[in-house]
Amino acid sequence: MSGPAQIVVDGVCHHYRPAVGRTVLALENVSLKVREREFLALLGPSGCGKSTLLYLIGGFLPTETGSILVDGKPVAGPGPDRGIVFQNFALFPWKSVRKNVLYGLERQGLPREEREKRAQAFIDMVGLTGFEESYPSQLSGGMKQRTAIARTLAFDPRMLLMDEPFGALDAQTRSLMQSELLAIWEKTRKTVIFVTHDVHEAVYLAERVAVMSARPGRIKTIVDTRFDKDDPEVHRTKVFIDKVDEVWNLVREEAIKALEKRPS
Amino acid sequence: MHRMASGAFWSAARLAPIVALLAGWEIFARSGAVTPFMLPAFSAVVERIYDDAFGGELFINIGVTLYRALAGFAIAAVGGVVLGTAMARNAVARWFFDPIISVGFPMPKIAFLPVVILWLGLYDVSKISMVVLDAIFPVVTATIAGIASVEKELLWSARNMGARDRELLWQILLPAALPQILTGLQVALPIALIVVVVTEMQMGGYGLGGAMMQASRFANSRGVFAGIVEIAIIGYVLVALMAMLRRRLLRWHQEAQAVTEV
Amino acid sequence: MTNALVPKALIRYAPLLILAAAWEAASRLHLVSSLALPPLSDVAQAWVELVQSGELVTNGLSSLYRAGAGLALAIVVGGALGIFMASSRGVNAMLGPLVELFYPMPKSALIPVTVLWLGFGDGSKILLIFLGCMLPVTIGAYNGARGSDRHLVWSARSMGADRLRMMWDVVVPSALPELLNGVRTALALSFILLVSSELIVARQGFGYLIGYLGSNGSYEAMFAVVLTVAFTGFLADRVYQSVVARVLRWQE
Repeated sequence: MSGPAQIVVDGVCHHYRPAVGRTVLALENVSLKVREREFLALLGPSGCGKSTLLYLIGGFLPTETGSILVDGKPVAGPGPDRGIVFQNFALFPWKSVRKNVLYGLERQGLPREEREKRAQAFIDMVGLTGFEESYPSQLSGGMKQRTAIARTLAFDPRMLLMDEPFGALDAQTRSLMQSELLAIWEKTRKTVIFVTHDVHEAVYLAERVAVMSARPGRIKTIVDTRFDKDDPEVHRTKVFIDKVDEVWNLVREEAIKALEKRPS
Repeated sequence: MHRMASGAFWSAARLAPIVALLAGWEIFARSGAVTPFMLPAFSAVVERIYDDAFGGELFINIGVTLYRALAGFAIAAVGGVVLGTAMARNAVARWFFDPIISVGFPMPKIAFLPVVILWLGLYDVSKISMVVLDAIFPVVTATIAGIASVEKELLWSARNMGARDRELLWQILLPAALPQILTGLQVALPIALIVVVVTEMQMGGYGLGGAMMQASRFANSRGVFAGIVEIAIIGYVLVALMAMLRRRLLRWHQEAQAVTEV
Repeated sequence: MTNALVPKALIRYAPLLILAAAWEAASRLHLVSSLALPPLSDVAQAWVELVQSGELVTNGLSSLYRAGAGLALAIVVGGALGIFMASSRGVNAMLGPLVELFYPMPKSALIPVTVLWLGFGDGSKILLIFLGCMLPVTIGAYNGARGSDRHLVWSARSMGADRLRMMWDVVVPSALPELLNGVRTALALSFILLVSSELIVARQGFGYLIGYLGSNGSYEAMFAVVLTVAFTGFLADRVYQSVVARVLRWQE
């Protein structure tokens, strides 16, 4: 599972500059290597900057200090090589499921027949066959997220950046989506960077979990979470529970720090 | 079947007060409590409208008024969206026009009518310009608000998928802002009608406003009431058409609302 | 603190100053006909003369009286009507369709009929503004009252408040924001109807003065009154907004 590093983050700092109020240091000297085809989770308390780091890798925010290299090239802006999935789905509400999924394919200028075929294939893959003409407002949370995932997978990005994608879903749907995502990942084997604050989710899904400190965010520790996850009852195995404990202890200190820092 | 029946029932229920009002009007007018001058009977007004339609100038007047109102509205719509978009995306445009818009919005711009007449004369140009001056404001503010409220994640997703700046504007920004832009247009339409009627009353000539003012000068109360009914119907129809257009364009949006109503 | 505020306001409103300067320059340099666009400084001077002669004030007060009276009536009657409609299903069923019917009607269409009934004087204007401005207030009151949190209402009832008391203690305060918004619309509309009717059929008032000066060829003075009216409308809105903000804050 190791291979040439695909994303290299080196010494990145980022400031959050709101229109009103003081500038805040969001990320401090973050360094991270993400390997090709790896599933890495970014885990940390609220406000630690994990989403910010994701947006920097995605090219939605400019890199101020330090460097971010994707396949050896510095990030210069958003692009279809790094597909993103947001927590609030970010589906185009005026487009049907099919049109949403087609959008990235249209941007790439694929011929019509090929576009339609690919779009349908991914709609089927996420289990939304039959809902092609539905609008996002007619879909449940889980279905919306599946549409978002299908949309991002359809244009075949080299990696997936996922920003707490299941955060807005209820617990049952979330757990269903987690196993589905794992299944899709095992089939497509893209590099995935998955941001979450949920320890169970991170340990279940990822091969490595990068625990971030409270603001200003740094990479505190990286925990290896590779083990057999095929067992449907894996959540109850000793391996899993031990890993969760290990990671949780690391996060807890930071979570307390984050709480103390927050003005209430 | 049941749904159709209950739909019909509700339409009837909603018409009932209107029918009652008209009946009340007729009865009150004929009762002798007021003179036919003060309140001509509804039937007399209908008769007058009929005469105007088939022997007089009703259709010319309606046509002229509608032309001016809709031309002004169209210019205000396009101009307003363009200006609003520019203001939303360009800091200099925003800085320059913001005080003009925020100070100008609550002004009774109809006060500028004599100035507009001075500059542009007594023909359609000045009437249409006045409509544009009044109707553009709600469109601009609605466009700015609509564009500002587009979630950044939508834009980021589109850029993520390779959309370029121009494509972002037409394919993402404007469609996402459409609900609010349409609201602005729905506010602007009645304004256009109000203004066109006032300008016609001031300047005279053809048009429903001019005709009504004429009737008023000749103390022809049937003519005045006929004008009110005609304009009321036109206003109602235009607003209803606009609402239908909105429902059609926002099918994807309204669905969500329809679900919650159940 | 105040030192920071003044430059901020200046930057914000600078474009207006630029326009004013452009106006003056364009006119003085004869880039446009100084007949069609008299220099701003001449307009200002004419304004001063109008104030000194008393013409502006007399006509202004007449206008403001008409608008004020019509608006006050519209607020009281319209507000009561809206709340009444919100609280009684029967009244709502009766009056709702009527409100929907009259809402899209251009209120300016009522100018000739009010003149027919009450002539050129104050009465017709007050009636016009009353009728025209009632609708936005009614709709605002209705929407506001309808939005009253049902739980608040139930709590009040269970604490023994009778219908009227409850209306005062619960419904009116929570209806206030929407109602006040409706009044704001009515305020703007009152100016529009006032000026419209005075431009067409009046012997006194701002609109009349504008028309009279225009037909006289006293364009500087005409511009002066036009700007006065425009800014009065603007000021009225701003003052209203700050009063509303204070009322709502005090309510919290």
